[in-house]
Amino acid sequence: MILAAVFLLSLSSLALEVLLTRVFSISQWNHLSFMVISIALFGFAAAGTFLNIIDTQKKDWEKRLSSSGPVKIFIILYTVTAIGSFMVLNRIPLDYFRLPLEPVQIFYLLTAYLLLTLPFFFAGLVISLAYAFIPEKSGFVYFASMAGSACGAIIPFPFLPFLGEGRSIILAALIPLIIVPFEKPTTNKKHALTKNISRGKRFAFQVTCLFIVLMTGLLVSVEDGLEPKVKPSPYKDLSRFLQFPDTRIFETVTGLRGRFDSVHSPYTRFAPGLSLKFKDILPEQWVIYKDGDTPFFIYKQQLQKDEWFSKFTLPYAGYMLVPNPEHILLIQDGGGSGIPCAMASGACNITVVEQKPKIAHIVRNHYNIPVVNQNPRAFMAQSDKHYDIIHIENWGGSLPGSDALTQGYLFTTASFSEYLNHLTENGILIMARKLLLPPADSIRLWAGAYESLRSLEFENPERHIAVLRNWSTFTLIVSVRPFNDMTGLKDFARDMNFDLVYIPGITKEMVNRFNIFDAPYHFFEISRLAEAYRSGTEEAYFETYPLDVAPQSDSRPFPGRFLKWNRLKALYKITGSRFYSLFMSGEIVVCVVFLEALVIAVFLLMIPVFTIKKQDKKPNISLLLYFLAVGAGFMFLELFFIKKYIFIFGDPVISFTVVLTGILVFSGFGGCCSQRIGPGGLRYVLIALIAVLIFIFLGLDPMIHRILELSKILQYTLATLLLILPSFLVGLPFPLGMRFLLNRPAHRAYAWTANGCASVLTSIISAQIAISLGIPIIILCAAAAYLVALLMSNTKTIGQK
Amino acid sequence: MVSLQIRLRGVSDKKVLNAMSQVPRHRFVPKELLSQAYADHPLPIGQGQTISQPYIVALMTEKLKLIGNERILEIGTGSGYQAAILAKVAKEVYTIEIKEKLYKKAESLLRSLGFSKIKTRHGDGYFGWPEAAPFDCIMITASIDHIPPPLLKQLKDGGRLILPLGNPFSYQHLSLVTKYDDEYTVKQITGVLFVPMTGHALDQNPRVTNDIP
Repeated sequence: MILAAVFLLSLSSLALEVLLTRVFSISQWNHLSFMVISIALFGFAAAGTFLNIIDTQKKDWEKRLSSSGPVKIFIILYTVTAIGSFMVLNRIPLDYFRLPLEPVQIFYLLTAYLLLTLPFFFAGLVISLAYAFIPEKSGFVYFASMAGSACGAIIPFPFLPFLGEGRSIILAALIPLIIVPFEKPTTNKKHALTKNISRGKRFAFQVTCLFIVLMTGLLVSVEDGLEPKVKPSPYKDLSRFLQFPDTRIFETVTGLRGRFDSVHSPYTRFAPGLSLKFKDILPEQWVIYKDGDTPFFIYKQQLQKDEWFSKFTLPYAGYMLVPNPEHILLIQDGGGSGIPCAMASGACNITVVEQKPKIAHIVRNHYNIPVVNQNPRAFMAQSDKHYDIIHIENWGGSLPGSDALTQGYLFTTASFSEYLNHLTENGILIMARKLLLPPADSIRLWAGAYESLRSLEFENPERHIAVLRNWSTFTLIVSVRPFNDMTGLKDFARDMNFDLVYIPGITKEMVNRFNIFDAPYHFFEISRLAEAYRSGTEEAYFETYPLDVAPQSDSRPFPGRFLKWNRLKALYKITGSRFYSLFMSGEIVVCVVFLEALVIAVFLLMIPVFTIKKQDKKPNISLLLYFLAVGAGFMFLELFFIKKYIFIFGDPVISFTVVLTGILVFSGFGGCCSQRIGPGGLRYVLIALIAVLIFIFLGLDPMIHRILELSKILQYTLATLLLILPSFLVGLPFPLGMRFLLNRPAHRAYAWTANGCASVLTSIISAQIAISLGIPIIILCAAAAYLVALLMSNTKTIGQK
Repeated sequence: MVSLQIRLRGVSDKKVLNAMSQVPRHRFVPKELLSQAYADHPLPIGQGQTISQPYIVALMTEKLKLIGNERILEIGTGSGYQAAILAKVAKEVYTIEIKEKLYKKAESLLRSLGFSKIKTRHGDGYFGWPEAAPFDCIMITASIDHIPPPLLKQLKDGGRLILPLGNPFSYQHLSLVTKYDDEYTVKQITGVLFVPMTGHALDQNPRVTNDIP
């Protein structure tokens, strides 16, 4: 029964983890999903520590606890705490932004954290009991756990559109209960867990299960009852927008890629970069929010003049340079104002690339134009068509800093090269973004364009680039032909009261005229950068600038990330010396979560060291390092592939699902096969694994670029096939270690704790490694972790056993 | 309040300083926050709105460079405090509030305090007050991420529009728009940083404050 319990609890807890990540993405921001991962794994780790403490108090604890009765109680507790904690969490007035202002919020945060830890604690208890009590079947326990988790990774998605996040969580929490009412008769007397429980107890379990299911059903079905409805953070665009009168959500669609709320309001007025010269009323609009943020606006263009406003917007400067465009490619990631621009230009053929299927469907039906629902980089890799204009629209999230960890491939140097290669000989590339002060994004994009032009061997790259701004947005224009006559652009800027930031031959007198800053900061910095490129000192420029504005490669694609940790003090001062302004940065939140996780990990790992009196029973430091390394290596590998595959699939959720399912299934098979490997095989397994990881570091990139050019089916197939070997191999060291390196149940529980703690810390630190050093470094970290495991894997201890 | 919070920070227009001294700010704040009425921060007034920090009220008024004969449009009456200050230094004040409860409360308060130069309206300030246009000055007292075209249309030549421009949860720029012969300049006066706050947040904790420059 315990293997079935491990399978179902792994399934349910991973589904819960995935769904909580969705809940946090809506109710807070994506970067807080780290909290969910840490909560789950800490719950597991705490279970191992708990068993170590029990070991000091009770004899034969593993036999008593792993018998059928207690396991059923743990399953019931898991279900009750999973449902209960989620319902309570939804009602706690936790407001993450008020943490620096109100001490009571710390209490709310801790309460939320502890409550959510409980279900994972009970799930972890059953799994670590299985490892502790049947070490000879560690491989099968590992397989049950991984296979269950793999199912848990995908099972929420078919239910989400029908049940929503709240009900899906309740359903996931109820799943393990299905084995509680049953008792499998067995003649094997070896294990306590096989002992049959009394008829009375069995009846009590059956009644309890029925009661839980009925109560949950009742609570969920009652109108305005306790059904948890996930509300977006009050600081998200959607929540603020809903405060306007007569504003209502008329459709909500929940699914794999997020929650899409369509909102109608008489107060929707979106026209970023609109000139103050525009005197008319903007056309009627409605808006679709993804997870309460990243709005996409749809314009009701009933009349020809409804597009007129877009001729007064800053990005239209690029359209002015191509009088009669034939083919326009629009790559949209939020916003939506690019479509009226393209239509107003009179182009014959407009192609929109939109990655979100829901929005692609709406845009196609509403505007009656061709919409390609595909990852833009994959589209570019597969298309050989050339365009007169390529317009990239992305305005980022509503909260600056919140997208510091968001991976995006629209603005890397390689992307610039792709865009330029798809332009006609008179083609124009337009990029519209929010204007930041101190200048950050504008510098990075200018540098990205410059380096791309240089790599494509354009002469005098700076002669191909122009930047304009108004008070809140900027537009970068890159031309295939060098800008020789700038009169048109200058006239457009003057007529619309826009400011020039950079054009070839620009002087100080030409800037900061209409949208006046104390100094023309953006002009100064881009001019300095242009000079640095001319003199070959661009590296020094990027080194000394207070923000990270260096152009980004496909290996480090984080367009919203500008923080330099060694300049944190300066940033604190620039932002008004207020703690909460730093708190808004996703990167700093991750750092805080890491420190918190580190403290808890040390606490969980130290408790057994201090509570166990006898020296021979204390955990061995080299074995502790082995299991820490194995836990870290596994998580490094998982996160490396999740981040790498975003390049192929474009969407982190798809990447997460493919990688998690693949790695868990194949590592589960690895665990199963570990049953056939003897103690001497462990070292060879680790050596082979390190070699494979180094090969991935050296050879995966070219393969991924080839995969990008293939059809979707082949992309999924090959991406999954690539996971087989490394996943199979990472599935071996943990069960082998459990079998051959440890000889006490308490030590196995401790190894489980170490594995959990290492996984938490690694999952958080991987994010920082990716944004600071680049994604490929994560796989090197995985190899390094397994090297540590190799050095610590002294299988001679088996002889002592 | 005037000498320590306003004059010391550089607001020197005597008319503005006098107005800030004369208008009883405590009448415009909720009863439960009376003790903080003259504190150096904004206060919640319900409906997700705030009464601005005294310094910001003075600064925005001073930046309009009023001489006394202006007709002013204010968008976002809120408590009515800013309109009262403007009424002390200008000829006529037109003020619009989108939230009905606030509008009624402010209208009644301003009437009871004898501010006859202030005309109030309940409605969407985005479209301004076309019947009373053009205005010498327009003041928007809520953060907004763009400048409403209808308001620019209702601004006189040489007119000034002041507003906190930008994302309500990021840095905003207190910005002054000036209109000359249908040409516009937008000058950034100072950065303001708003503590993120919504009606939901306010209702739960009336002590949290916002818009601190």
